[in-house]
Amino acid sequence: MADYKLIGKPYSIADLVAKVTGRAKYAEDFRADGMLFAKLLSSPMPHGRVRSIDTSAAEAMPGVEAILTADDLPPVDAPGEAGLTNEPMYEGEPILAVAAVDETTAANAIEAIRVDMEPLPFAVDPLDSLRPGGSNARLDGNTMVNRELANVKWDDVDWAAIDRGEMQTNGEVAEEWEVGDVEAGLAEADLVIDETVFHQSMGHQPLESRTSMAYWQNGKCYLHTSTQSTQRTHGAAARGIGIAPEDLVLVAEYCGGGFGSKIFGSIQMKIPALLSQKAGKPVMMRITRQEEHFIGRARPGLQGRVKIGFRRDGRITAMDMFFVQDGGPYGMSGDYVVVPDQSTLMYQPLSHRFRGISVYTNTPPRSPQRAPGGLQAVSMFSPLMQKAAKELGIDPLEMIRINAPAGQAKLGRPDENGEQGNVSSAFVVEAADLAEQTFDWQAMRARSGQRNGTRVTGVGVALSSFNAGAWGMDGLLTIRPDGKVYIQQGIGNLGTGSVFDTGRAAMEALKTDWDQAEVIWGDTSKHLPWSIVQAGSNTIHTHTRTNYAAGEDARRKLQEIAAGDLGGSPDDYDVADGRVFRRGARSSGLSFAQAARRAIELGGRFDGHELPEDINAVTTGAATALAGLGLMGVARDNYPTGGRVISHAIGFAEVEVDVETGAVVLKDYRVSTDVGTVINPRGLAAQLHGGGIQGFSAALAQKWVYDRRWGLQVSKRFYTNRPPTILDVPHEQPMAWAAQDKPDPFNPMGAKGVGETAEGAGSGAVLCAIADALGDGYFNRTPLQLDLILTKIEQLPPAFSTLTAHV
Amino acid sequence: MELFQWGSNPWGQETLVRISWDLLYLAFWAGIAFILFHIAYAVVWLPRLARASASAGADAGGSATDVPARIVRHTSAARFFHWVMAAAMIALLITGFFPIVGIQFPWVTIHWISGVLLTISILYHIVHATFFLDFWSIWILPADLQEAWQRVRHQMGQETPAIRKHGKYPLDHKLYHLAVTVAGLAVIGTGLVMMLRIDGALWPRNPYFLSDATWGLMYVLHGLGSVLFVTLTLTHIYFAIRPEKLWITKSMIFGYVDRDRYLEHHDPQRWVVPRDSTEG
Amino acid sequence: MAVIRDMMPAFQLFQPTTTDEALGLLDEYRERAWVLAGGLDSFDWLKDRVKRPAAVVDLGGIEALRAIRPAAGGLEIGAMTTLREVGRHADVRDRYGLLADAADLVASPQIRNQGTLGGNLTQDTRCWYYRDGWNCYRAGGTICYADTPTAMNREHCIIGASRCVAVNPSDTAPALVALDAEMEIQGGGGTRVVAAEDYFVGPDVDIMRMTVLEPGDLLTAVRLPETWAGARFYFEKSRDRQVWDFALASVASAVKIVNGTVEDVRIAVNGVAPTPLRLRASEDAVRGRQLTEEVAARAGEAAVQGVRPLHHNGFKVALLRNLVTRAVRGDEA
Repeated sequence: MADYKLIGKPYSIADLVAKVTGRAKYAEDFRADGMLFAKLLSSPMPHGRVRSIDTSAAEAMPGVEAILTADDLPPVDAPGEAGLTNEPMYEGEPILAVAAVDETTAANAIEAIRVDMEPLPFAVDPLDSLRPGGSNARLDGNTMVNRELANVKWDDVDWAAIDRGEMQTNGEVAEEWEVGDVEAGLAEADLVIDETVFHQSMGHQPLESRTSMAYWQNGKCYLHTSTQSTQRTHGAAARGIGIAPEDLVLVAEYCGGGFGSKIFGSIQMKIPALLSQKAGKPVMMRITRQEEHFIGRARPGLQGRVKIGFRRDGRITAMDMFFVQDGGPYGMSGDYVVVPDQSTLMYQPLSHRFRGISVYTNTPPRSPQRAPGGLQAVSMFSPLMQKAAKELGIDPLEMIRINAPAGQAKLGRPDENGEQGNVSSAFVVEAADLAEQTFDWQAMRARSGQRNGTRVTGVGVALSSFNAGAWGMDGLLTIRPDGKVYIQQGIGNLGTGSVFDTGRAAMEALKTDWDQAEVIWGDTSKHLPWSIVQAGSNTIHTHTRTNYAAGEDARRKLQEIAAGDLGGSPDDYDVADGRVFRRGARSSGLSFAQAARRAIELGGRFDGHELPEDINAVTTGAATALAGLGLMGVARDNYPTGGRVISHAIGFAEVEVDVETGAVVLKDYRVSTDVGTVINPRGLAAQLHGGGIQGFSAALAQKWVYDRRWGLQVSKRFYTNRPPTILDVPHEQPMAWAAQDKPDPFNPMGAKGVGETAEGAGSGAVLCAIADALGDGYFNRTPLQLDLILTKIEQLPPAFSTLTAHV
Repeated sequence: MELFQWGSNPWGQETLVRISWDLLYLAFWAGIAFILFHIAYAVVWLPRLARASASAGADAGGSATDVPARIVRHTSAARFFHWVMAAAMIALLITGFFPIVGIQFPWVTIHWISGVLLTISILYHIVHATFFLDFWSIWILPADLQEAWQRVRHQMGQETPAIRKHGKYPLDHKLYHLAVTVAGLAVIGTGLVMMLRIDGALWPRNPYFLSDATWGLMYVLHGLGSVLFVTLTLTHIYFAIRPEKLWITKSMIFGYVDRDRYLEHHDPQRWVVPRDSTEG
Repeated sequence: MAVIRDMMPAFQLFQPTTTDEALGLLDEYRERAWVLAGGLDSFDWLKDRVKRPAAVVDLGGIEALRAIRPAAGGLEIGAMTTLREVGRHADVRDRYGLLADAADLVASPQIRNQGTLGGNLTQDTRCWYYRDGWNCYRAGGTICYADTPTAMNREHCIIGASRCVAVNPSDTAPALVALDAEMEIQGGGGTRVVAAEDYFVGPDVDIMRMTVLEPGDLLTAVRLPETWAGARFYFEKSRDRQVWDFALASVASAVKIVNGTVEDVRIAVNGVAPTPLRLRASEDAVRGRQLTEEVAARAGEAAVQGVRPLHHNGFKVALLRNLVTRAVRGDEA
């Protein structure tokens, strides 16, 4: 491992104190003169058409200042989502918004509005929509085929079998591909696992709801909001409002969680912006918990059938999967097509086939949620891997090793030439080996089946792999006459700390202390460069690249300035500790402050008056605005790439299952990883365990419950949809983690992201541990609550089939 | 005062829930008002009527010797029906309305069992009355209306043709029976459907068997029939204990009326009593 | 009219400092008054605008309702005593550990700091249809949405339903029934005392309320009799999460053993019926016998005689049977 000054060292992120003292201002903490408050009127039915709206009583109320309806919004093409609608497609979808002098008045006004609605046919379970004669969630179709809305019904399918909980695989699909020969692979297998599987839909539930406040000054819209990204959200929000990006100032310095639901989060931002325009006053739209539950996005559920062929030695010969995705009413989520990406990678099957279709439902809109498709893949497949391992007499960790991706392993859908893509690096076997030593896996395994009264111990292990980086963005920093390095970050401050962590790459390039750095983020008026979306666990890999590039550019310019002023060639100079100095003669050099002043004097490319041509126009704009403030480091990330960046985590869980009550207690969780070079060990631990906990939630508790007669959800509250709490986390000993710190070859520091990889490891390991405790506890569906467990133990007739959605 | 209770279904659409319980109080007080009115009427008018009939009572013929001493007015089967029905009805009214006025107890099971009992007794009555009794004797016929008009005119002191005595059932009995029939069919018909809403042993509970609107109508009809029964029951009991009507009440207990009463109130040509019709 | 949630409407707030003052307000406003204790049940209703009282009477300022003191050989606990105080109180722990255990398993630490014993006992049901403002029997309508062919009723009744299939959610209630506690109620008519078992009202009697409290009444104290102090106790709550979850089923038992034989026993359960339920048949199966596996199993079986599970809650039958068996067996919870 390289000898880094900052990389891999623990430190306190810059906003920590602000957060723990409450000084951090989130969107709803802002105020503006004459500010109004907005409230939403939401659809009471899953699908309906607004026949008429009578706002007269509301408008007559003192303090009511403006009402915004769908007719006031820029048009959106189907199957897109406008934000307000006259044809709501899910319960809780906003129909109109009222701005009033305070929230109580706005709420009372909403109650005084009469909306006459015609109920329309609806579907909350995708299978209901595929059934012959089944109603569709949308009037214009129930799916997309070849990017066109289409109406697909499964006429020649054995629906009685589906009703029994056996997915049939002869229905029409929208996506289909094969690599290798799956039929042959299954034929040559010594063991074929063939199961119907189900993964629930689940809301994102960030603690901070998607609140926004907007006002207009001199034709510009100022928007305080909650979003994961910044620079990328800016464009999306401007488009939504219907204005040019230069007419929008977006402020989002803090974000109380997004999990993919606020990558842009821009759908609802237009409401306060346009209401403010209409009312001529600032408008704050605070989103309540129940509103967030509906408009706050969700992970698509999956219903499917999986066949996996194993050789006697554990090697997977074939994977054949068929999935129906619960797509919500708008857009097109990609989770179901990501599932086979993950399975081709994690298990490296010798052949693989995927067939799938996403079906629209009248349930909340979907968006990526931490490891979209990846979590579902691990939750559904890892118990099947363990089942096969048991049948073949193989240690489940060994099973992971046997099929593990290594090096630049292949993955995903083949291109037109039949070639699959590859990853930049995979050290899964090494992660397994590390766990074997660090966690004493064999001792854990030995506890499997141990009885303590009515409680039985189970242990489980699961491999999770997911996206962890991209490339090609821009880095931008200035070293100013005050001697500080101002690092401009166009990514957002999602709460992971990566907005600071990646800034350390620039300081690493300058080998200068972190306290000499100032990170600029979260406000598009502060000249931020072109950046990746703060999503997909991309930031650590992508923006250590960009910031290292900017740092290297600044270092080169420092060296050139020093050589110009002090003689010699630039390569005779080194940069460290806030100075550029002659190698071997540390006293001969310039401080950053001196160099900054020289850069301004020199102008041109030194202070940003001349810019590289390959940077994005957004970065050019930002750099131009900063030109002349000091020495500018600005560069596009042109470092070599070696394939899709994927990190890997192996989760180990130990549970106790009470065989009389079905209660599951999570006793221990450990996770071993391949995440490249560790950038910030504290941030890494938080992601590994936070992701793991979110995985426990998916495995054990979180869900939606719908009454199908009405298409309405009855689990709107935390205590009914049950995300986990901190007391659901193992607390007898701290959860352990281990990282190999093995660099990815395609990042200047070897960094890879981790946030999403972590979740599946938690979910898969817990599900495998429960299965292990029960001996044969394979349920093939999540969440695995005690009613399912007790029903199995007591051999009671099941209340619903494996394929039943939203119970 | 409200006539109906409105609510909304889960989609926020307004639906009819049931009658307003204001109507229960209205029905009760209507019954009481009627009774008070009738008491006043009885005090003022009955003595005059008695004098009038003494002077002008038309003898429609029929001699005392043709008539047995006791005439069967209600067979034992009919009486059994009446009292079973009465018991069921009282139980239904108590279980239905006491909780609404604040006297609370577990009522649902008694209510539906009473309802089933009432239904069975009514079915029995229909068959019995249709095939074993003089079916038409209880129904209002056009002649009854004409006659009623004459009686009213007569009571108002106007010139009328001679007023005939009644057949087996006078018009007020027929009217009462008609009201009970209408209200009874309403509560029984709706009540039976409402059994789908409770946990029946014989069928799965299905509140979605009918649409919201139809259910609302069911509850309204059930409620209207029920509160009508409050009025009907009050007035029925009132008449049953009026001194001049006690002989009728007795006949519902013992089955017969005396020859004198028969001849005094009924026209033997209209209520033909076979000679062997004595009982017991 | 459109529906809006999560936004409390205006009401008159009263913050009396004495019980008499509170009773006066309750008497004045009758049905239009709302009693506010810890607020954990109340605020949901108020914020969702489903219940719309004209006046809210906040008991938080009445110190007299917030004390634990010895009384007649037992203990008297003021209704406004927080669940945390109940769970931590030395006398409660030492002599009535059953109640302390139950109080400690309510919801979450934050909620136990705020929630009161009286509130926990008097809270409304958590049926998700009813709580969401569906116009069901309990809300004055003519239907139980939780018992229809499409109803989602995993968390509902298996015993004793009458039209409404919602369950009582209280954790402390079964403990108090098992301890044979008494509830002191003050109201317009003075003070009356009812047995814990009789405090709760099922839908067969009144489908629109959970307790015997009438408008104008206030639960002021809970009295624990000496009879069951120091008995062998067992409390267990079955739930989906480790915290912040209402019971899928809970069991509370108190057993007096003399010379290895059960001299007397009280077993109560909750989360399975419209009210906390005392299981007399299970008690009878145990009383006068030695506590063997077989006796415990018989008590468990007796608990589930006559159950009528709904579509999604068949598991509760097994759960109830097993919990009662464990309670008699006296496992480590």
